[in-house]
Amino acid sequence: MTRNYLDNSRAALKESMDYHLRCSLCRETPSKDYRDHFLATAFSLRDRMTEKILQTERRYQEAGAKRVYYLSMEFLIGRLLGDSLYNLGLFDLCRDVLSEAGIDIDEVREQENDAGLGNGGLGRLAACFLDSMATLDIPGFGYGIHYEYGLFKQEVDNGYQKEKPDNWLAEFSPWEIKRPDEKCIVPIYGRIEHFQDRAGEYNPMWLDWKVIMGIPFDIPVVGYGGKTVNWLRLYGAGSSTDFDIQIFNEGDYFRAVEQKVSSETITKMLYPRDTLKSGKELRLVQEYFLVACSLRDIVRRYLKDHGDFDRFSDSVAIQMNDTHPSLAVAELMRLLVDEYALPWDSAWEITQRTMAYTNHTILSEALEKWPVSLLERVIPRHLQIIYEINSRFLATVASLHPSDIDLIRRMSLIEEGENKQVRMAHLAMVGSHSINGVSALHTEILMKNNFSDFHALWPERFVSITNGITQRRWLLKSNPQLAGLISEKIGDSWITDLAQLKRLESCADDPDFQDRFRGIKRANKEALSRIISRTAWVSVNPDSLFDVHVKRIHEYKRQLLKIMHIIYEYLQIVRGEKTPTVAKTYIFGGKAAPGYWVAKQIIKLIHNVGQVINSDKRLQDIMKVVFLPDYRVSLAEKIIPAADLSEQISMAGTEASGTGNMKFMLNGALTVGTLDGANVEMLQESGEDNIFIFGLKAGEIEEMQRANTYRPTEYYRSYPEIRIVVDTFRDNVFCPSEPGLFQWIYSRFMHEEDTYFHLPDLLEYIRIQEKIEEEYRDTASWTKKAIFNVTRSGKFSSDRAISEYAGLIWKVEAVK
Amino acid sequence: MQLHQNKMGDVLIVRPLERRIDAATATEFKEKMSEWIGAGNRRIVLNLSEVDFIDSSGLGAIVSSLKKIGNDGDLVICSVRETVMSLFRLTRMNRVFDILSSEEEAIGALSRRL
Repeated sequence: MTRNYLDNSRAALKESMDYHLRCSLCRETPSKDYRDHFLATAFSLRDRMTEKILQTERRYQEAGAKRVYYLSMEFLIGRLLGDSLYNLGLFDLCRDVLSEAGIDIDEVREQENDAGLGNGGLGRLAACFLDSMATLDIPGFGYGIHYEYGLFKQEVDNGYQKEKPDNWLAEFSPWEIKRPDEKCIVPIYGRIEHFQDRAGEYNPMWLDWKVIMGIPFDIPVVGYGGKTVNWLRLYGAGSSTDFDIQIFNEGDYFRAVEQKVSSETITKMLYPRDTLKSGKELRLVQEYFLVACSLRDIVRRYLKDHGDFDRFSDSVAIQMNDTHPSLAVAELMRLLVDEYALPWDSAWEITQRTMAYTNHTILSEALEKWPVSLLERVIPRHLQIIYEINSRFLATVASLHPSDIDLIRRMSLIEEGENKQVRMAHLAMVGSHSINGVSALHTEILMKNNFSDFHALWPERFVSITNGITQRRWLLKSNPQLAGLISEKIGDSWITDLAQLKRLESCADDPDFQDRFRGIKRANKEALSRIISRTAWVSVNPDSLFDVHVKRIHEYKRQLLKIMHIIYEYLQIVRGEKTPTVAKTYIFGGKAAPGYWVAKQIIKLIHNVGQVINSDKRLQDIMKVVFLPDYRVSLAEKIIPAADLSEQISMAGTEASGTGNMKFMLNGALTVGTLDGANVEMLQESGEDNIFIFGLKAGEIEEMQRANTYRPTEYYRSYPEIRIVVDTFRDNVFCPSEPGLFQWIYSRFMHEEDTYFHLPDLLEYIRIQEKIEEEYRDTASWTKKAIFNVTRSGKFSSDRAISEYAGLIWKVEAVK
Repeated sequence: MQLHQNKMGDVLIVRPLERRIDAATATEFKEKMSEWIGAGNRRIVLNLSEVDFIDSSGLGAIVSSLKKIGNDGDLVICSVRETVMSLFRLTRMNRVFDILSSEEEAIGALSRRL
């Protein structure tokens, strides 16, 4: 290739794509195969990004920059081709080069598998944060796990979810750079030998451990403009030749291969989120594996430039994305105290000054606890360290509150009882200098309820940073027509400064602008209608109101509340008690954890309700209910730009922030939601005329729970609207051929079971849906509100969130 | 497993002539060390200059030898390569054993403890 083949010129791009077609893929040019073109394009971009990784690293080195390491069990990165093209500024050029070869870039983009290395919001947040850090020129890097199988692929058979393995690497990922030269060893299992050191002091020795090898795979993360390229390092588990050769030498070939397979199993699969309660050993091993590999790598990088640990916390910030990586506290202590022989107090100061913890949930069942007996077996030395941290911590608490035994019991890292458990969130909080919630309401609840004792002890450690999303993926890439219209009006500075969208407000009343805005929405709805027709086998009307509820299926997110409203509306229409004025398409999507029976039943219910409604001739095109299978990032990018109404109806006090809500807002959907998570701030930003808020508030629910005053049967008896809906579950209205199928829903209410307060919110939800219908009929007014949602979404950029993390927690600066 | 041994005064110097002490060789290493200790060798230098890898069974065998010597003897280690040293640090064995850079220093250290 020519010397300038990495240039951003048409000739250079074409040359490198042709080169990879011939030399990397062994294909004759010109090729007409989309997959070939996808790989050749990806390789050409990767060449450019790897070169820029080196340039970026030199810049960081010269600046002596402090670095941020973001530890997360999930990075839901989805597809990377489109993002990389946009961020490198090569999209148009690449489209033209492909077009000259008779290749449609959209077809090429469809060849890429989604990297589904996450369950939902938490993993997607991590991916958005990486994009923002690179765009803001912040030396920020991700550490995660190289799962061979991402979150399962969802298929639906007769309304029942079937899980299929998601082998996203089946045809390998062109983005990854495998780095076996930087592999690390991870000791695990074994026992503690209690010994004395040469000075006669107690010296525990960790012996008889086994070893897993951590093999890094780096994925470049390019910021917008292409100047800064950071990386995401994913560790895959492997066996070590060193450690297995002995078995081969013993002549036991099969046992040696088994050992190899057993090591590799560790990173085989991402656990679906709602299966984590059962305390699976493999999940603990995964969490330990992540932190052990990451911290060894972080320390190795630091020591390349430093002779001691004096400047560690000035040079390194580590953010734990939720409780899963909280073993990082114990692992960093182990490294410093055991392997680098620092005194405990110095090591502890460094650890606390380096680590920071983001909490993502207030659901107590999701705050991890691991049995002491399991930790003792899997990582015995870490358990010792956790005990030591706890002993010192509780001594501090006792010195402040000497007579409050109950407080000490509550704050302890160890939950006493028949089966002692380690409270991982407590470990994370004690070992961090910062603890943050992910929305104002969530942080308030953490400080007031879940972590009130810790807040009382260390109020200065608590901070709220509302989540955000990257507008590069969620508008520029996923809704290019709207992005184009915005740039035409106000320029493209919004791409890196989302608050600029405010400048668009003067256009909100402009009929011409409104027409174009509506036209784009209509085109997006048409595109989605085609996907619906192809994947859900339902024909929908693009002129209907697209009412969308897509997210993980969970009771607290209340897909059931949405379905109950649809049932109510359906019954009203067929009974002649309502004349519909707006055609509606109700769109659902989301995966249920494989072992979560209720969530899977909800999917079945959505299908059955859809089947009845969609085939009811009396409704014609007035109402449709569809469930789009296999909800994932690339599908979200098609659904969100087409939505008119965004359903964010979790029970108040349960959703930490939500980020789907922000994506819809940015794309001009109006939100109907409870005062939960970031909805509260969306209300503040958009203004109450541009969002539909309903339902009980978190405090009201808390009070009802505390006083135990909520009785579902009272609502059932008192309100006919509720009764007619609930009775359909008893009367098999939506399961005539499988009687009794949804009886469980009826029975729950009759047995006063409604953990997520569906019935108290249903009436108000029905009323607000009627208001929405009325408002939707006023096209100009609705469009204006939709535009305001776009223009007022600036706060919800992940750039703003990352700037806050950088300033408030990490104390890092951009390296321009 | 090949173990070279020679005596300097009452100090027994043991030098494994293998690159690895692992599950395949640890038992034999432990047995030979035990035999020599049982024969009255109470001051031992373990020269690891040839060894570039010790797994946890090998580390366990060295700890066993130290225990076998008990309080009336000593086992010092010398000429440890960095790969092996990192495993000593991981287990905290480096705090239990005297680890010296050469055989001469190791012998000298034992002599000073007379």
